[in-house]
Amino acid sequence: MKSVLLLLALAVAAAASETPKLPTFGHDIAPIIYQNCAPCHRRGQAAPFSLLTYQDVKKHARQIANVTKRRYMPPWPPEPGYGDFQDERRLTDEQIRMIGDWVRAGAPEGPANDAPPPPQFASDWQLGEPDLVLQAARPFLLPASGPDVFWNFIFHPDLKTTHYVRAIEIRPGADRLVHHANLLIDRTGSTRRLEATPGAGFPGMELTIDRNPLDPDSHFLFWKPGTVPYSEPDGFSWRLDPGNFLVLNAHLQPSGKVEQVRPTIGLYFTDKPPTRFPLLIQLEHDGALDIPAGVRDFMVSDDFRIPIDADVLAVYPHAHYLGKLLEAYATLPDGTRKWLIRIPDWDLNWQAVYRYREPVFLPKGSVISMRYHYDNSASNVRNPNNPPKRVHAGNRATDEMGHLWLQVLPRGRGDHRRPLQEAIMRHRLEKYPNDFSAHLNLGALLLSRLDAQGAVSMLEAAVRINPARPEGHDMLGSALEALGRSSDALEQFRLALRAQPDYVDARYNLALALAKFGKFGEAIENFRPVAAAYPGSARLQDEFGELLARDGKFVEAVAQFDKALALDPSDETAKKNREVARQQMAGR
Amino acid sequence: MVNRTTIFRSLTVAALLTLPVFGGTLGVSDLDGKAVDPFAEAARVRVLLFVRTDCPITNRYAPELQRVAQEFNRRGVRFWLVYPDGTETVAGIRDHIAQYQFPGEPVRDPRHMLVKRAHATVAPEAAVFDAAGNLMYHGRIDDRYVDIGKARAAPQRHDLEDAIAAVLAGKPVAEAETSAVGCALADVE
Repeated sequence: MKSVLLLLALAVAAAASETPKLPTFGHDIAPIIYQNCAPCHRRGQAAPFSLLTYQDVKKHARQIANVTKRRYMPPWPPEPGYGDFQDERRLTDEQIRMIGDWVRAGAPEGPANDAPPPPQFASDWQLGEPDLVLQAARPFLLPASGPDVFWNFIFHPDLKTTHYVRAIEIRPGADRLVHHANLLIDRTGSTRRLEATPGAGFPGMELTIDRNPLDPDSHFLFWKPGTVPYSEPDGFSWRLDPGNFLVLNAHLQPSGKVEQVRPTIGLYFTDKPPTRFPLLIQLEHDGALDIPAGVRDFMVSDDFRIPIDADVLAVYPHAHYLGKLLEAYATLPDGTRKWLIRIPDWDLNWQAVYRYREPVFLPKGSVISMRYHYDNSASNVRNPNNPPKRVHAGNRATDEMGHLWLQVLPRGRGDHRRPLQEAIMRHRLEKYPNDFSAHLNLGALLLSRLDAQGAVSMLEAAVRINPARPEGHDMLGSALEALGRSSDALEQFRLALRAQPDYVDARYNLALALAKFGKFGEAIENFRPVAAAYPGSARLQDEFGELLARDGKFVEAVAQFDKALALDPSDETAKKNREVARQQMAGR
Repeated sequence: MVNRTTIFRSLTVAALLTLPVFGGTLGVSDLDGKAVDPFAEAARVRVLLFVRTDCPITNRYAPELQRVAQEFNRRGVRFWLVYPDGTETVAGIRDHIAQYQFPGEPVRDPRHMLVKRAHATVAPEAAVFDAAGNLMYHGRIDDRYVDIGKARAAPQRHDLEDAIAAVLAGKPVAEAETSAVGCALADVE
C-alpha cells in the first residue's frame, strides 16, 4: 500500500514537471473562441448557436475540435502565403492543437477568475446610426428545405440630390439564413423589369445590370457574417444619384422551417466627393466554360496585360459548385510572379471579397493571370448534377462561372481609369470578336476621348452584330454627329427608335439633331416624352423650354423654365432663359 | 438514492409486465416529466430520432423527418424524438418542436440511456429497432451531408427510409450502420 502511494506521488510529480498543465477553458480556450468564433457565433448573426460562455462552448466542444482541425472553421479559404489580406481569420496550428488537447482532457472550465470577460458587441448598427436606412419592400419567403436560394432585393433610396457614400451596413433581416450578400448599384432601375410585381424582388445567382461604360463600377459592396462593416478610406466615397437603385444579391440557406427574409441596409454619407477612382476589372473566360460530364480537372484561364501602373486593392474570386482550385497571380515585366490569391478547396458558401493589407503594386505591362480548375465528376460532392452533366457558363446554380474580380487603382492623381477600361474591353474583343457590348462600350469610350472616327468604326461593327439593339444605333448617331455627319446621325437615331420606340436617349438625341436642321416642330414632339420621362431633371426641363422658345412657343417655354426653377431655384441658365422668353413675349 | 432505487424497481416491474423484456431506459421521460419507455409499447418498428435544439443540421432535417414519418406513421411504425441534452428547458424543447414541426413523441434522455442503446453519436441521427427491440439500423437520415459544411445539393441515398422499409418487410438492412454528420451528443452528456 505504501509503495503504491509513493508511486502515485511520483507519477503526479513527474506529470507536473514534464508536461505543461492541461488547458482550461478560462485560461486557454476562451481567448481563442472569443476572438475568432464569437463575432459570428452570437445572437442575431449568421452562424448557428452562440459561443459566448463556457456552457455554450462545452456543448459544442467535440464539434469545435473537429471543424477547427480540418480548418473548416473559422472559415478562411485563401491559402496563406498567396496574398496578404486584412482581417485574416485563421487559427495557428498551436491554437488548434490546444483545442484538441482541451477536448481530450474533458473540456475543463478551470478557475472562474482565469476567464476573460465575454466579448461585447454593438447590438445595433455597428457603425452608429446610419444617415439613411432602407428596408426591402417585401419579405422573401424562404422555403423550409431544398437547395440554397439566390434572391435579389431592390432598394429605392429616393434621393433628391446626389449623395456620396462612405460606408454601408447590411442587416440580413433574419438570423442565420443569409450566408453572404453583394450590393450592386443600378443607375437606371433596369433590374426592376426583372420583378414579377414591384417590390417582390427576383431570383438569380448572377446579375447583369445596364451600366454606362463611362461610369463604371468601382467598389465592392460585399457583406459576410461576422465582419465589421467596411468604411471606405478618405477620398474613396462613391456616388448615389436621384433615381438610382440598390440591388442586394443574397445567398440564402433553408433552415428547416419557412422563414421570412427582409433585409435592411444602412447608408453612411460623406460630403466629400471621391478623389480616388478605383475600377473593378474582371478576368473571365465564360465562353470556354464547357465542361464535359465526368471530367475531374477542367481548367479555364484568362490573362490580361495592364497598360498602366496600378495598385490592386481587393480581390473577389467567384465560381459555382464545380470550382475546385482557384488561382490568380501577376507576372511582372521582370518575370517575377506576385500571387494575388490561391483557394485550394473552393466552396461557394464561403465566397468573399478579400482586401489586401497593403495595395499590391503592378507596374505597367504586368500580366494578370487567372487559372480556375473545375471538377465535374461524381466524386465532387458539391456537384449539383447527379449524375454529372455537361456544364456551361450560366446564371443558375447548376451552371458554372469563373470570374476573377479585382479592384484596381491606377497610379497618379485624378481619374485614370479610361486606359484600363479600354484595355479590358479590347481584351474582351479578343476573346469574343462578335460581342455587341464590348463594341458598344469601346465605342463609347473612344467617343469620350474624342476619337470619333475610331468610335464610328467600332459602333458600325456593333450595329452589324446586333441591329435590334437601340443603344448601338444611338451611340453611332452621336459619334457621326461628332464627325459632323448630321444626316447620317439623324438616320441612326431613327433606327434606334425603330428598334425601341421608348428608348429615351435616342428620342433626346433625335430631337436635338432635328433642331439643328431647323425642324423645331418635329424636334418638340420628340422632346416632349423625354421631358415627361425625367420630371425631376431641371436641366432637361430647361432644355425643353429652350427648344420651345426657339420655335416661338413662349408661353409654354416660360412654363418649362418655371418647372426647371421649381426643381432647382439656383439654376442661372433657366433664370436667364425665362427672362429672355418673357421679353420676347412682351415684344410681340 | 432512495428515489433512484424506487424508479429502478418500478421500471423492472414494468419491464416484467410487458414484452419484449429489457432494461435501460432509466431517466427517460416525456415533457411532463413522466417516465416513459419507448420499448415498452407495442410497435412493428420503432424509430428513435436524436436531436438537439442548438444544432442547425438537426433543424435542416426537420422537413425530411416529417416526410419519412408521414410515409410510415400508419404502417405501425412509431417515432420518438429524443432530446439527450439534460440542460434543455422543457419550454425550449416545446418551442423547437413547434417551430420546426418535428415528428414523433418527444422524450428526454438526460442520462443517454437511449443514446447508448442506439449507439447514437450525433444529432441528427436515427436508430431503427424491430418489434422485439433489436437494433436494426443506426446512423444518418440520408447522405446529403458528407461533413459539417459539406453537403450535396440533394441526397443520393435515403438510408433511414430504406432501413424502415426493410425492417417492415422483415428483411435485413443492407447497411446497418452508417456515420451521421451533426453535433456531437457526447458534448451534452
